[in-house]
Amino acid sequence: MEYQAQALFKKYDLPVMRGCVVDRPEDVAEAIAREGVRFPLVVKAQVQIGGRGKAGGIQFADDLAQAEAHARRLLGSELRGLRVNKLYLVERASSAREWYLSILLDRLSKQPVIIFSAMGGMEIEETARTDPDRIKKLVIDPMIGVQDYMARYLLSSSGLPLDCLKALDDLLRKLYACFMDYDCMLCEINPLAVDSENRLIALDGKIDIDDSALYRLPDVTAWRDELPEEELVREARRFNFLYIPVEAGGSVAVCSNGSGMLMSCIDMITKNGMKVAAVLDLGGGATSDRIAEAMRILFSTPGVKAVLINIFGGITRCDEVAGGVKLAMERHSLDGKLILVRMEGTNKDKGVEIIEGLHSDVIRTDGLRESVAALLERRDRL
Amino acid sequence: MSIIIDQNTRLIVQGITGREGTFHTEQMLAYGTRVVAGVTPGKGGQQVLGVPVFNTVREAVEATDANASVIFVPARFTRSSVLEALDAGLKTVLTIAEHVPVHDMMYCYRLARLKGARLFGPNSFGIISPGKSKAGFMAHRIFAPGSVGVMSRSATNCYETVFMLTNNGIGQSTCIGVGGDMIPGSTFVDLLPDFFADPETKAVIIIGEIGGNEEELAAEYIAAHPEKPVIALIAGKNAPKGRSMGHAGAIVSADGTGSAESKERALRAAGVHIAENTQHIVDICRKLKEEGRL
Repeated sequence: MEYQAQALFKKYDLPVMRGCVVDRPEDVAEAIAREGVRFPLVVKAQVQIGGRGKAGGIQFADDLAQAEAHARRLLGSELRGLRVNKLYLVERASSAREWYLSILLDRLSKQPVIIFSAMGGMEIEETARTDPDRIKKLVIDPMIGVQDYMARYLLSSSGLPLDCLKALDDLLRKLYACFMDYDCMLCEINPLAVDSENRLIALDGKIDIDDSALYRLPDVTAWRDELPEEELVREARRFNFLYIPVEAGGSVAVCSNGSGMLMSCIDMITKNGMKVAAVLDLGGGATSDRIAEAMRILFSTPGVKAVLINIFGGITRCDEVAGGVKLAMERHSLDGKLILVRMEGTNKDKGVEIIEGLHSDVIRTDGLRESVAALLERRDRL
Repeated sequence: MSIIIDQNTRLIVQGITGREGTFHTEQMLAYGTRVVAGVTPGKGGQQVLGVPVFNTVREAVEATDANASVIFVPARFTRSSVLEALDAGLKTVLTIAEHVPVHDMMYCYRLARLKGARLFGPNSFGIISPGKSKAGFMAHRIFAPGSVGVMSRSATNCYETVFMLTNNGIGQSTCIGVGGDMIPGSTFVDLLPDFFADPETKAVIIIGEIGGNEEELAAEYIAAHPEKPVIALIAGKNAPKGRSMGHAGAIVSADGTGSAESKERALRAAGVHIAENTQHIVDICRKLKEEGRL
């Protein structure tokens, strides 16, 4: 969120406006005094929605009374369905111009790329569409890093005077250090304000961090816990499952041991006119306990009437998979629910024997297509 | 013939003493892979399944003349293991682990390019040239020697396809897990020239998925080099937009970049056969066989 990006920018000594975070209206006066934030200021709701200004999430305050009034009204309210738990109160800048600057990890070049434009602020998306030449892109070779000619290129090729060269070079180096240290997919400053004395100030920022690197970024892991997350996603993560909601109102859920197969299952079920509510990737280890938990989580998804299990791992033990289905049926009341099982791997005969002894609503097939066909035959029960 | 890996490959297993490393070394040896050395820091001088273990990749290369490495270490150690293999002069390096930080791969990828080495993975099952050799963790029972080259971003979709191909009497020359991550060490377009140059490979199957532009780049190459029949399957047409599907690379951005439609359009325009599902791939291969093209 914005205030977290601002905190990171501050850590890297990037020029930011003074600001503070509050989560209760009665804390406004104290927080402003503590951080030395001066009026006039901007009161910004910390919710992850686009068009936050238009939704009323950004307000201006000339004095403490106004700031407190905004805080009372915004905190605890909902903006486009998301509850406002925190406000970021930040000094209002007087900028002459607004630029755009970001470093992102570019999939095409597989290297970091600087994106720069003199058309910053709200206009950047419009510029990208109508006037892409006014957006400069520059690859940073990770073996070379940020060098002084890069800021020079960005300004010069944009037709800008070099007055801000030193400030931009300094900013780029700090932003790149932050990008590299924090395993960022994106470090964005927008708008990047240029004041009348050619100073640069990061007015708003966005940082996107690689999930796979969280283990080495303890401070970010703490932030992540503050993000809203669907309950079943969180519940699934406790077991190291990846639970992905697909389509609200769907009646089928899928459980598999790889995301490629999950995508293929969604494609085939959708093509046959049925809707997938959610999918779950087991990750490693298809033990019977894990299978049972996965089924419990999938059947907890509102509207789910059938779970399709498709496991093909080569060394997966089919008796464990089947045992998991059995366990789920013993532990949870799954009356009237359909369970389709397709599994390939070792001990298949043993697994088949267990499955076939369970219940007529547990249907075993030898392929994904057969599973989908079996679902289609029982469409009235979905 | 086959590509990248064959009976002459002299393989190192980095992380050979770990649970996964040992288990899959046994599987690889059973399949006939020439595993000539293992590397685990601090375990130099030991043997695992008769394979000598070294403390460093450099020592392993010096002692055994190894020419490829497969890395079975956890994600957080992958970067240093890849750099060690590249620095020891190996030109074929495979990484298996899931959840390798993207920045780590970015650095490894760049170094591999600069050193003229080929890097595969991460988040990959490895490479198998059926009947000859395998490097990785794929269940080799489902593969059979033959003349179709397969490249896949997804292990499960590849298994499913290969299982059906083999059951229908269609064997494979080499199957490569390019991996499901955002920065794959090698991708479709890097490998097409190898498959096209390999006399044993008569047709190529690309199992792609949403996200990125690897399939589009492949389409460009195929359009310029229409040398062999190519069949493609793109998974994730109905995946929810804006959500990563577990494969870090499989995400369609809000502006539609990386969508299955865009990929299929590009591939179709390049003359590639588009398959709706794995069964359809088999149908197309059978037809090619009937026409004597396989």
